Amino acid sequence: MNGAVSTTIIVAGLALAGYALLMTALNHRMNVPMLAAVGVLEILLLVQVGIIVAKLADGERPAGLATLIGYLIATPLVPVAAAFWGLMERSRWGPAVVAVAGLVAAVLMVRLHQIWPVIHV
Amino acid sequence: MSELVTPPEPVTPPEPGASRADSTRTGPGRLLVAIYALFALSATARAGVQIATKFSHAPVAYVLSAFAGAVYILATVTLSVGSPTARRIALFSCSIELAGVLAVGTWSLADPASFPDATVWSGYGSGYGFVPLVLPVFGLLWLRRWTGRSRARRAAAMSAENADAVTAAGASAERKRH
Repeated sequence: MNGAVSTTIIVAGLALAGYALLMTALNHRMNVPMLAAVGVLEILLLVQVGIIVAKLADGERPAGLATLIGYLIATPLVPVAAAFWGLMERSRWGPAVVAVAGLVAAVLMVRLHQIWPVIHV
Repeated sequence: MSELVTPPEPVTPPEPGASRADSTRTGPGRLLVAIYALFALSATARAGVQIATKFSHAPVAYVLSAFAGAVYILATVTLSVGSPTARRIALFSCSIELAGVLAVGTWSLADPASFPDATVWSGYGSGYGFVPLVLPVFGLLWLRRWTGRSRARRAAAMSAENADAVTAAGASAERKRH
């Protein structure tokens, strides 16, 4: 269950990054489909955070609890911040910001697994 | 000496056609600021947690991480502000950053014992896909583009002054700084 969500986020993040880089290469600005894709990534990340919070509520604890909590707060902010920052840019560089967010989402899943191995990838 | 009396070039008015938002934070700068913000957050937060929970484990690494975080914050803020003064500070912080990643990268390979835990700049940023090594280079290139225009104008002024020899050169360097 856990592993499936992480894997989905990695695939979705990389796909979003690829799509956004294509938009950058084609000189496109941010548009509605791109925002929708960012929204999907955001929902997936919130599901993942929910699963981890549920585990914490069950009384399980990782070694680096402070770090994990930091990641739980920062992770859902990544697509939101990228969408805002990208929308402010009316050029190809808006999607480029979104591409970074997609890559970061994928990397964050690997980091979460390193912080707390019970979060499978 | 008459050149010395020439008033320093006025604050550059925006070129016709350049929008008001045209600054170091727009265009490719948008991407640059986003990546800088990411590293500012991750380096600072990581160093904060490490210093608060296990400082004695690897004090050198944690202090260097905190320093790196501070440099990233400075670069993020100055690049997103984009005024001439902010650009100068950004140039400074990107230079410190490049020097830091090269120095700490070399140090971490030469003396691994000092780094039981990694910093952002260990192994030239290998733990972060070498982004810490590439980022200051792009930052400096981007800032160079912004100083190029006024530099060309200054170079023209300088060559006029060259006829006037040493004192004039010193004075113009002084003026350049202001």
